[in-house]
Amino acid sequence: MNQYLELFHSQRNLLQQHSHDVLNAQRQAAADALQRQGFPSQKVERYKYTNVAAAFEPNYGLKLDAPLTTDVLPDIARTYYGTLANVEQDAITALNTMLAQDLLVIYVPAGERREHPVQLTNMLRSAVPLMQNRRLLIVAEAGAHVQVLLTDKAESGQDFLTTQVTEVFVGEGAQVEFYDIEDSHERCHRFHQFYAQVAAGGKLTHTTFTLASGLSRNRTDVMLTGKGADVLMLGCVIANGQQHVDNNTLIDHQAPGCQSRELYKYVVDQQATGAFAGRVLVRQEAQQTDSVERNANLVCTEQARMWTQPMLEIYADDVKCSHGSTVGQLNDEALFYMRQRGISEAEAHMLLKQAFASEVLAEVPLEALRQRLQALVEKRFRNCEDCRFCHK
Amino acid sequence: MLEIKNLHATIGGKEILKGIDLTIRPGEIHALMGQNGAGKSTLSNVLVGHPAYTVTEGSVTYHGKDILALTPDERALEGIFLSFQQPVEIPGVSMVNFMRAALNAKRKHQGLEPMDAASFLKLMRERRKIVELDNKLTNRSVNEGFSGGEKKRNEIFQMAMLEPTLAILDETDSGLDVDALRIVAEGFNKLRKPETSAIVITHYQRLLDYLKPDFVHVLLGGRIVRSGGPELATEIEQHGFDWIKEEL
Repeated sequence: MNQYLELFHSQRNLLQQHSHDVLNAQRQAAADALQRQGFPSQKVERYKYTNVAAAFEPNYGLKLDAPLTTDVLPDIARTYYGTLANVEQDAITALNTMLAQDLLVIYVPAGERREHPVQLTNMLRSAVPLMQNRRLLIVAEAGAHVQVLLTDKAESGQDFLTTQVTEVFVGEGAQVEFYDIEDSHERCHRFHQFYAQVAAGGKLTHTTFTLASGLSRNRTDVMLTGKGADVLMLGCVIANGQQHVDNNTLIDHQAPGCQSRELYKYVVDQQATGAFAGRVLVRQEAQQTDSVERNANLVCTEQARMWTQPMLEIYADDVKCSHGSTVGQLNDEALFYMRQRGISEAEAHMLLKQAFASEVLAEVPLEALRQRLQALVEKRFRNCEDCRFCHK
Repeated sequence: MLEIKNLHATIGGKEILKGIDLTIRPGEIHALMGQNGAGKSTLSNVLVGHPAYTVTEGSVTYHGKDILALTPDERALEGIFLSFQQPVEIPGVSMVNFMRAALNAKRKHQGLEPMDAASFLKLMRERRKIVELDNKLTNRSVNEGFSGGEKKRNEIFQMAMLEPTLAILDETDSGLDVDALRIVAEGFNKLRKPETSAIVITHYQRLLDYLKPDFVHVLLGGRIVRSGGPELATEIEQHGFDWIKEEL
């Protein structure tokens, strides 16, 4: 951790010159928060399943003098930036706030509906190990509607470390669909801190697909702050080789009559490890909450590991809530049935894994993306036998 | 030609088959009868390589090949098809994808290119009609939400798609009403080629009335204790199995 604080203190001027006031204004507080907290050990509840210090240990290059894409930020940025992503409660959010240089803002004024999705593609390319700290702010005012698709890819076979903080404000009756698709490689380490607030009658769809990566750690916090707010959270993880994927979610029901649906499915193969910890908090004032949380996992080998921890915490007395999780293996009888029809073992495995993932795919609201994801998932399972992840 | 010699097999350490000898020539239909627990289903499972069973003695060759050395999918590609007594439901795997994978595996084995989508769907349509299987069912996941009778029809539909040379029907008639039985049996007869042979496991004469077996065998305690022509099935229908036991 000290290497990052030292870097900040020694390079502060360079950093600030190539950034905005909006971001610069919060750096010192973030650095203080990071110093105070240190990287979380695995004794910290929300970081139980991922060794953060080890991921930040290597010496990554950091480009501090990149030219800004624009020197104008809308006023809205000053109003919202850093208001959800609390640096006091998460060292990685603090580190990102301390070092982030550019801010991407997606602002949809009241009542405006964006017809086409906004797609953000991050392509990692570097000759040396590289760190990047990304920042995204989405503001959808009352009645606005926007779809945002974030895709993470890596072109060069290099070590990459990414921190990303995303803050999303869903206004009254607004709709935001956020799709996060990670399709990089085993030398990519990513920490995504996603914070959202949904006002009365607003709806947020959060979908995360981890198709390929080395280490993925997603913190996803959604606060339902207004009456009748709604969130749909979908997750699909395909992990093999030495991959490690950890999703840590919080759905915070703060207002009455809100609905939350959460479904995460993992296919963990070879020596990969997966973790899912999902907390649904129903506060006393959140009467008539309707919440379903489910995590289902397919563990394909004896070496693969899956940790699952659904948590439901209810302080209101008139609610409808359920939560559950399952960990299973491929169904032997189904495998045999398919093989009796001449389907090879590898193909039968692929079909069953795909079938398992299909439940999440079917829920993806954006039709064109659903079809694309279906193809990507199939490709991922199919290439498995000879792709770079396999060490058979 | 299928040749079974002195076949012994166990499940969970318990010996179920205690020396089966059976030869089936191309085009022949053999009925296998016997009380529950006699080893009929064990024999069919062993022939298709179910991993729960262990062969402890004996041999099985099909067209001269030692099939006991083959994996279940390799045996299927050699032309052996089992109509399951209890077909498995596979949620999330569509009938279309399942059949396409199976058919293309067979084509690959024969050195053919995968079938194009249009021809494949046309073939599905044609073969579906033979067993009067509803279009709605072939659009679903494999066997998911099918009734008992629909599952059995679906087995024969798959057989129609894959055109095996040896079909093993394991109580395909159980759970079928009179009409469904006729449709399935007539479907089977329509599909039959001169070289297609079959092992038909059943408790009842009715299916055999349609399929007209060349030979009938009675299995008891893991052995074939009696073999004869179609008249043996009629005798069993009338008198049960006890008289055979008494004669032994």
